[in-house]
Amino acid sequence: MAETTQLELVTPANIMVQKPVQMVVAPGSEGLFGVLPRHAPLLSDLTRGIVEVHENGSVASRIMIDGGLADVSGESVTILTERAEDLGSADRDAIKARAEEASGAEADFLNAVLAAL
Amino acid sequence: MPSLKDLKTRINSVKSTQKITSAMKMVAAAKLRRAQDSAEKGRPYADRMQKIVNSLASKADPTSAPQLLVGNGKDNTHLLVVMSADRGLCGGFNGSITRQARNEVTRLRGEGKTVKLLMVGRKSADALRRELGDAYIDSLEGIQGTAVQYADAASIGETVRNGFEAGEFDVCTLIFNKFKSAISQEVTLKRLIPAEIGEDTQDDDAGVAYEYEPDEEELLAAVLPRNISTQVYSALLESSAAELAARMTAMDNATRNAGDLIERLTLVYNRTRQATITKELIEIISGAEAV
Repeated sequence: MAETTQLELVTPANIMVQKPVQMVVAPGSEGLFGVLPRHAPLLSDLTRGIVEVHENGSVASRIMIDGGLADVSGESVTILTERAEDLGSADRDAIKARAEEASGAEADFLNAVLAAL
Repeated sequence: MPSLKDLKTRINSVKSTQKITSAMKMVAAAKLRRAQDSAEKGRPYADRMQKIVNSLASKADPTSAPQLLVGNGKDNTHLLVVMSADRGLCGGFNGSITRQARNEVTRLRGEGKTVKLLMVGRKSADALRRELGDAYIDSLEGIQGTAVQYADAASIGETVRNGFEAGEFDVCTLIFNKFKSAISQEVTLKRLIPAEIGEDTQDDDAGVAYEYEPDEEELLAAVLPRNISTQVYSALLESSAAELAARMTAMDNATRNAGDLIERLTLVYNRTRQATITKELIEIISGAEAV
């Protein structure tokens, strides 16, 4: 078993992901960055984009986030974001319906999710 | 002495009140479970946010740090964000918030400060409107309930931020009921601006050299506004859970009191009925004797 780092993706409503992974690629405000185990401590601003979770050498899941913060330490990656949508399990119609109902930043984000699907 | 019919009506009316209060109690209990659940789910985000703010703040240079963190150096105008419920029938919940808000206003005015109020929830807003209505900058309704939306908290956060940046106030404090347990709530004051920094800044990552991207100042400037929304959100969650808990307790007591009342009234009713029968018997017997 390869070395892993503990990924936590936290939104105001819940903890969306909490599991050990091999690598995380996050959309930093100054460009994408990948986090492997034993990464140097880093605190970074994130922009809207896709967090890629790598397990067993391939992309296991892709999660769209609407900006946020990443707190990286040697053993863990904590991503705080106001909105997140798992692209793997997202239902296009359901998101479309929510996007039509929502307004402002929320609708904007959901439309971006639709575009990325 | 009330007539038998009066007593009967009274008993029935108390019984139907009891049905309502016990139904409200059960509804509150069911909703409380959900509210408590979402309050617990919301906690990790707030905790981690606070941790990041603490660690950033401990490294920031106090002279050039953002005003949201250190304040704008003045202390003249205070904004109080008061969170009460939209609905009543929840015991002392709204009363204690209202009382605390009034005391706070009196205290600050006594110190010669100007006070502005942002009311969240209808009950306290109504209660204070007559005496303090001119200090309201806004009063919001319909935000609290079983499902508190982060978007609502974010828009309150934005109002607060914009007001601060426009120089409308210097210090901002939240007043809300903190959910302690199903039977107790605690009125809590939490300072939003300047940010409250926890004591535990020297925990596990003390000594670890963090890399910052972009630099600390920019990061801090990006985090602080989000932190305000997060604090508002967690206060809303706490307050909603506390409201439901207060309602559950209040309605439980009301149901029990109604039960006691019914028992007493039934006793009076039976006594009165018995007395009437005895009286009628005496009348018949004395009538028969007279013949």
